[in-house]
Amino acid sequence: MGRVSPFILEAEGLSKDFGGFLAVSGVDLRVRRGTIHALIGPNGAGKTTVFNLVTKFLQPTKGRIAYNQRDITQLRPAMVARLGMVRSFQISAVFLHLTVRENIRVALQRRTGTSFHFWRRGRTLDSLNERADALIASVGLSDFTHELAANLPYGRRRAVEIATTLALEPELLLLDEPMSGLGREDIGRVSELIREVGRGHTVLMVEHNLSVVAALSDTITVMAHGQVLAEGPYAEISKNRDVRAAYLGSGHA
Amino acid sequence: MSAILDLLPPLPALFGQILIGLINGSFYAMLSLGLAVIFGLLNIVNFAHGAQYMLGGLCAYILLKYFGVGYWPALLIAPVVVGAFGVLLERLFLRPLYRLDHLYGMLLTFGVALVMEGLVRNQYGSTGNPYPEPPSLAGAWNLGFMYLPVYRAWVIIASLGVCLATWYVIERTRLGAYLRAATENPKLTRAFGINVPRMVMLTYGGGVALAALAGVMAAPIYQVTAQMGSEIIIVVFAVVVIGGMGSIIGAIVSGFVLGLVEGLTKVFYPEASTTVVFIIMAIVLLVRPAGLFGAATRTTAAGESHATAASGLRLSPPTVRNVTIALIATGVLAPWVVYPVFLMKVLCFALFACAFNLLLGYVGLLSFGHAAFYGGASYITAHAVKMWGFDPLLGILAGVLAAGILGLVFGWLAIRRQGIYFAMITLALAQMVYFSAVQAEFTHNDEGIQAVPRGHLLGLVDLGNALNMYYFVFAVFLLGFWLIHRIIDSPFGGVLKAVRENEPRAISLGYDTDHYKLVAFVLSALLSGMAGALDALVFQLASLTNVHWTMSGHAILMTILGGVGTLAGPIVGALIVAGMENYLATLGAWVTVIDGAIFIVCVMMFRRGIVGEAAVLLRKVRLKRKTEPVLAPSTKGATS
Repeated sequence: MGRVSPFILEAEGLSKDFGGFLAVSGVDLRVRRGTIHALIGPNGAGKTTVFNLVTKFLQPTKGRIAYNQRDITQLRPAMVARLGMVRSFQISAVFLHLTVRENIRVALQRRTGTSFHFWRRGRTLDSLNERADALIASVGLSDFTHELAANLPYGRRRAVEIATTLALEPELLLLDEPMSGLGREDIGRVSELIREVGRGHTVLMVEHNLSVVAALSDTITVMAHGQVLAEGPYAEISKNRDVRAAYLGSGHA
Repeated sequence: MSAILDLLPPLPALFGQILIGLINGSFYAMLSLGLAVIFGLLNIVNFAHGAQYMLGGLCAYILLKYFGVGYWPALLIAPVVVGAFGVLLERLFLRPLYRLDHLYGMLLTFGVALVMEGLVRNQYGSTGNPYPEPPSLAGAWNLGFMYLPVYRAWVIIASLGVCLATWYVIERTRLGAYLRAATENPKLTRAFGINVPRMVMLTYGGGVALAALAGVMAAPIYQVTAQMGSEIIIVVFAVVVIGGMGSIIGAIVSGFVLGLVEGLTKVFYPEASTTVVFIIMAIVLLVRPAGLFGAATRTTAAGESHATAASGLRLSPPTVRNVTIALIATGVLAPWVVYPVFLMKVLCFALFACAFNLLLGYVGLLSFGHAAFYGGASYITAHAVKMWGFDPLLGILAGVLAAGILGLVFGWLAIRRQGIYFAMITLALAQMVYFSAVQAEFTHNDEGIQAVPRGHLLGLVDLGNALNMYYFVFAVFLLGFWLIHRIIDSPFGGVLKAVRENEPRAISLGYDTDHYKLVAFVLSALLSGMAGALDALVFQLASLTNVHWTMSGHAILMTILGGVGTLAGPIVGALIVAGMENYLATLGAWVTVIDGAIFIVCVMMFRRGIVGEAAVLLRKVRLKRKTEPVLAPSTKGATS
């Protein structure tokens, strides 16, 4: 006991067997506190599975996961989120038929401890509006506070998603392909947002866009065929032979 | 030693029940096999499967009676005819629904089942139409320890053969390989040049033909009745939940085994013979939620979509207020215009539908078992008031609590599974409650609890008076309606909306969504119980009608007809459904046909329901008014 580990998330020997198909096998992953850590690799490398495993949306077949030195291998996913590790999803992590403010409020509401109170007026949560609007402003969405998330373009939805995640005041954010489906302009905006977030939080992200990864991340883990191929800063990784063969060689520029 | 032997029943009785068990098991296996095949490819639960089984038997009956065509040709003709009907059904009705939530397919086939059962009951009555055994299979073999009727032996062997042949086709042939490929990835299979839509259509037809074949084989054993399908299909659903839908062999094995278990229960503990399958289902859900042969439980990682056609509808506070004021005014004045007993029925139904809508419209859970809460509460209230001399309010409270406890048990079991499984499990559990009500002493079986005293409210107001009773019911209804509105609007309701919109995301924000669903389910059960308790006092009767699955069907019908996820929709739906029941009662089984037809129409082209569609229309009109106030008069001027 005593010393705080420099790593916020430590996974050891993670494996996931889908009825005979080994999607992830023996992956060790350590995420250093206060860094932006990227997980890259060709399609089917098992990146999203690793995400699902560490957030407990999937139960690992083998291996151990520790978050803040606490073993979370057997916890429910909602419990993991309550401990401060909050994830997003590849496709969409917003509530489409709620307004932007309502989206944020769903997250803020959890800490009020009134989420099971079915006898109270909804208005009792209006005290959260101020904080919600501040978060909305921090991601540049003030003009859309009362717009349904469904009516926003993808880039803006991504911002809603990040603001919602930040509302939980997480220590560790897991972003699953934050740039997928975004146009050039949105990529710039969301990158900036992630950089901003990274100043106060630890971020682990799966991302395909290598220039984004290169610009943002402190550490990169490269996966292929369910295993870790290499790990290090971009400059080191980009020179790695195995990585070039498995990843860059397979058609990526 | 002899004590143990005394406990055993005489051997012939034992073997007799084993035989009956195997016969039932044969039909369970064939039907659940067809359901599994259809589910595998179409991803819908074919609720009409029971009705199609009945049609098979009926077809054989008609062939013999009117055309003199006997059993053996019927064994071929009936599946072809009914299968062709299935192909048509798929092409015209099911195909347009594939892009929607799977629950719509279930609702549609439920409507189709109602229409078919109603039509047949109209034509052939609800008593059995006997069908003779084929002469070539008459008689029985003496096995020494028992007589084995030849026809029964044939049914067991033939159905086993059919099941194994189906398994062989699917698992071992090229056609089966295509089928499995299309199940895994329809788009890719299409890219290989296989006509997937046609394959889907023929698979549905094949599954239906299998049901019809079972129906023909069943005809000489059970006789042909309109309700033979709905009686068996609910048990088959339980069999499917137990076996797990993913596996063909699982469907076959669990069908036969459960038939056998049922037969043995009839020997050793006859009271439980109608419920044993449902009890096993509950145990399996606790121990192995995915079913005995099912694949490991799916995680919540994949997004679930829900049947919330109206989720985009938002009501402004003034609209809510206006609706409420109109509701109260109408309710206060109505008994001076309309017969109060009818109005009270509408109110009971409306509260029931609103409680149901809380679950379907705001959480996205489709329960097919709400009759258990409505009917269960009406029994408890009737008993408490009549036998224990409870005050009416206390009596209602007792009923509501009973419904809540049932809701807790149902919800706790059913929430382990999602979507269509959830619907099937609630249906099966409710059927267990129904059979318990048939068996229990205090419910008085077919007679029900009669002459339930309405009593005096707080010892003061005589509820025997129709108007007093009406206003009492109206007050309770308003209380329930207000509660529902409050729940939807509450912090809890906010989380429910999030769960409905995107369950994985709600989990990732730290909400244990299953707990929220369970609380919502219990609340819905409590409020349904409130409606059922009122029903018992209004009609001074608690009967099997209220716990029968048709009552669960009513809740769904009222809600989707009025508008899922709308505040006033269920009330409008209740008015129409109660009105039909009241004023069309002389039409007999036609009411069932009309109910079914409404289901079909609603699912096919009217998914927002009456209130939902009206709201959309109103919004369009308003938008028009806003954008073209200047334009409108000028065009008018131009044309005149």
